Amino acid sequence: MSKYLEKVVNSQFSRRDFLKGSAVATAAVAGLSLMGSRSSSIAKAEEEVSTAHDPVVDLEAQGEWKTAACWNNCGGRCLNKALVVDGVVVRQKTDDTHEDTPDYLQQRACPRGRVRRMEVYAPDRLKTPMKRKHWQPGGQEINGELRGLDEWEPISWDEAFQIVASEVKRISETYGPRSMFATSAGEAGKIMNAVGGYIQADGTLSWGSWYEGPDYFGMEDGFGEYSTNDRLDLRNCELIVMFGANPAWSSAGNPTYNFLQAKKAGAKFICIDPIYSTTASVMDAQWIPIHPGTDHALLLALAYVMLEHDEEMGLVDWDFLNRCTVGFDAEHMPVIEGVEIDPKENLKDYILGTYDGVPKTPEWASEITGVDPAVIEELGIKLGKDNKVALLTGWAPARTHNSDSMPQMFMALGAMGGHMGLSGHMTGVSCHYGASNGGKNLVGSGSAGTSSTKGIFSNTVREVMSQSEMWDAILKGWYTNGPGEENRKEIDIKLIYHGGTNAHMQTMPGTNEAIEAMRKVEFVVTQTTFFNTDAKYSDVVLPVNSMWEREEGYMGGGNREILVNAPKIIEPLFDSKSDRQVATGILEAMGISEKDTYGISAKASWFNKYFGAWTYDEDGATRVPICTITQEDIDKYSDLAEELIAAGKKIEPQEGKIPFAKFLEDGVYTVERKEGDNFGSIAYQAFREDPEANKLRTESGKLEIYCRRLKAAVDGYGYTTINAYPTYNPCLDGYEQMKAEGKFEFQVINPHYLRRSHTILDNVKVMREAYPNPVLINASDAAAKGIAEGDTVLLTSDYGKTLRKACVTETIMPGVIGVLHGTWADIDPETGIDRAGSDNILTGNKCTGQRICAWNTTLANMEKYDGPELPADVDMNDRMVVFE
Amino acid sequence: MAKAFYFDMTSCIGCKACQIACKDKLEVEMSPGVFYRKVSSFETGAYPMPGRFNYSASCNHCENPACVAVCPTGAMYKAEDGTVQHDDSICDGCKMSAMACPYKVPQYVASINKVHKCDACRDLTAKGKNPACVDACVMRCLDFGEKEDLIAKYGPDLVSDLAILPSSEITSPNVLIKAKENALEGEPKEMLV
Repeated sequence: MSKYLEKVVNSQFSRRDFLKGSAVATAAVAGLSLMGSRSSSIAKAEEEVSTAHDPVVDLEAQGEWKTAACWNNCGGRCLNKALVVDGVVVRQKTDDTHEDTPDYLQQRACPRGRVRRMEVYAPDRLKTPMKRKHWQPGGQEINGELRGLDEWEPISWDEAFQIVASEVKRISETYGPRSMFATSAGEAGKIMNAVGGYIQADGTLSWGSWYEGPDYFGMEDGFGEYSTNDRLDLRNCELIVMFGANPAWSSAGNPTYNFLQAKKAGAKFICIDPIYSTTASVMDAQWIPIHPGTDHALLLALAYVMLEHDEEMGLVDWDFLNRCTVGFDAEHMPVIEGVEIDPKENLKDYILGTYDGVPKTPEWASEITGVDPAVIEELGIKLGKDNKVALLTGWAPARTHNSDSMPQMFMALGAMGGHMGLSGHMTGVSCHYGASNGGKNLVGSGSAGTSSTKGIFSNTVREVMSQSEMWDAILKGWYTNGPGEENRKEIDIKLIYHGGTNAHMQTMPGTNEAIEAMRKVEFVVTQTTFFNTDAKYSDVVLPVNSMWEREEGYMGGGNREILVNAPKIIEPLFDSKSDRQVATGILEAMGISEKDTYGISAKASWFNKYFGAWTYDEDGATRVPICTITQEDIDKYSDLAEELIAAGKKIEPQEGKIPFAKFLEDGVYTVERKEGDNFGSIAYQAFREDPEANKLRTESGKLEIYCRRLKAAVDGYGYTTINAYPTYNPCLDGYEQMKAEGKFEFQVINPHYLRRSHTILDNVKVMREAYPNPVLINASDAAAKGIAEGDTVLLTSDYGKTLRKACVTETIMPGVIGVLHGTWADIDPETGIDRAGSDNILTGNKCTGQRICAWNTTLANMEKYDGPELPADVDMNDRMVVFE
Repeated sequence: MAKAFYFDMTSCIGCKACQIACKDKLEVEMSPGVFYRKVSSFETGAYPMPGRFNYSASCNHCENPACVAVCPTGAMYKAEDGTVQHDDSICDGCKMSAMACPYKVPQYVASINKVHKCDACRDLTAKGKNPACVDACVMRCLDFGEKEDLIAKYGPDLVSDLAILPSSEITSPNVLIKAKENALEGEPKEMLV
């Protein structure tokens, strides 16, 4: 059998093309010979791989299981172990560090974690720095219109460092730092900051309107801090209502198993979602399909039902509302800086229609949401204060335009039922890291200890554009910096640096506009691992490696109970470098040393993290170190210890929960949970008991159903305005607009998909084989359009066109199309049509509210495609650069 | 003596972690289209009251394995522990076992001109561990072991017949399924997601 890496490459890509693609030659040979240097033992391992059927052969005996980082922004953080045989990872497994029980869980990895090695060893990894052929540094030969179409030539790292360093300096000196832009800079931010800085971008990203509002009205955003109770208390709920949440797909790993424990304990589930998800199915949930972007209207009608039946049934928790909130009714309006707020601006009278003449009845909401009034009536009654209810939402329902007031209304509905501060009652975001499990973090990583020793990196450009206006802003030459034309800020961007791992050309709205923006500027540079959309439309591409190949390793958590510790496990593949090494190389070309940039070495930074890693003692309150580190441990790494001590770090023996060696071996510290321990959490418990003594961070110290700061913040961005109390705002590109205009027939939503984490892993063949990535279409809509299962379908929005194969299903609401989030745009230069089903080909640069990045309703039309049938994704060629 | 897989369909979310773990361990990722464990998703009923279920399929290590009956070289055989095993060294890649199995379990792997299938991870079970798929399951809905033990552990309401499977009378499969009701009859439609 051939060498392991060759085997991987040959199986998925012809060897001729590989060598051609890597003529590169130097790089490829470097990569292969790296393997070849250990050829005999590798060959032995491979032989055993090939005969894995024979029980006599024990591959595990040939290598060592090591903790292997799984680092993407999936919302999970599970334990991956890699079987390393002579420097090559030949197999993976997941957590087996302790017996698995529903209380004390193994942190089992989802399929995305299980294919990590197939990504690390993927044949389409970038193997060498490269430059676009018809672009030259210096600003004279740009040919920007060729970006995405041009040929590539390999360059050395020295050339690459010189080019990037000289272009950054030239552009900053010629046009000023305001001419440089990055929306995801990562380590590269230092490079631009070394010459004055750059314009940044921000937006509501995955959060939707949970991004900024919760701080003002008194909840948490559900990312690191949570307004929900912990997972063991979930089992005390009688009814769990989930809005726009499908943890089985978007929070893979343990969360759905945690919800299953609640089901087994007797909880009933209701899922409010345009899709009847696999989560809803496993929980035997009642499915309430809803028009995307209209959840706020449903919340109002549920509140109406509670008020309407309160007298007879006692549904509303008036005691909680009166003590813990402001703004629900005219009698409980806040007084802000001595000024009394108009009592007409209260939620109760808005719900009842006292002043606008529109009671927010189930019939009113039904017109908007598509939910049967009887279903709303029934659910509203179930939300009464005497039932143990969890009102949980993903971020998805607020990931639409004009949704700024929806999270506040979600809070208000929970407050009406008093579903806060008590066991079995909760209201809040339950997704990503916090899916199924709220409460304060019980573990934390130590500091990497890196910092500039000279203070040379400061961004003097204190400007931030909206991520849903940025591409358009680069094209039109200005961005919105507040209300009115007088607040427009002119810009003339010349340099775009894609330095992070977020691939924002494909993860942010408006990929087609992004491509045009790239074609306008003088220099685009990307550092990344694969030829993604950012790389494709650049001038210089720098190959960065994975967390498995980096001296600094990975230490981090996800859900509140675990801290993963994954050191470097393999040597860098091909001619790749870490992000830190890339930044160092470019900065050195600018005359700035690694020491001035980072202070300490990457390896020392790895060691430093162990000293600060922390957890809580059994009392749940006393912070203690995770690691016991002895003088012997320190002596074993004496060179690193000396370096850290010289840099002023405290490197001394310490007492912790587990020995240093065990943390290294297990690769994880898991808080052992059990019923009745001190690690549980009931959100708002102290606040509910005594709101005066335990004020929230809001202006009034209470939950603000009237929230001055929320309105001020949203209005201040200059896009759209809201009321200080949660009135319903139909969303741009939403259901009502579709019905009123008649231009489009469908609302597009973008569910997260198991094939990838956002866009990461979408190139991995095994994932493409397992998950075909169709477009989800309701059977009646498909029939009306003459579309059958597997047909190639063309979707058209105001911003672009994309193709996908149809999955015709009864599990999605009619009028709604599911375009799965995160593919890498693949635009046919002949037709201009994207072949990848990329969600952001259909979205565009429009902005509302708090700089909302909107996805879960885009308007589109759908037809059976009359061009050539789309091949299956797994049969498409790898996206590899072939050098002439 | 019979070894069996247990599958709790009521808990399966169809995430395919088992399928991916299997491909990873057995290196069959190098052979597109070859699976020793494969997860499929199905739907039943109609909007607005649809149903869903997932099925994780692997070798059922049958009592009367059709693959063994037709294999001309004896490469496919019933092992002492009750599992159906395959001896690569005498397989000539004739594919007859692949064609005979009503569950389409044995897979022809063109790159090595042999038929392969799930061996219930006998390298791991020999060490007292679980097959890779079992330990990969995030919903803890797979198990493997002595059939009688599994029945004792998971109760008597387990089936080996589903609307999507051939009749268990053909090969007496050693698979124990805690089924969802909508998977038992009718004509479930496969969802290609």
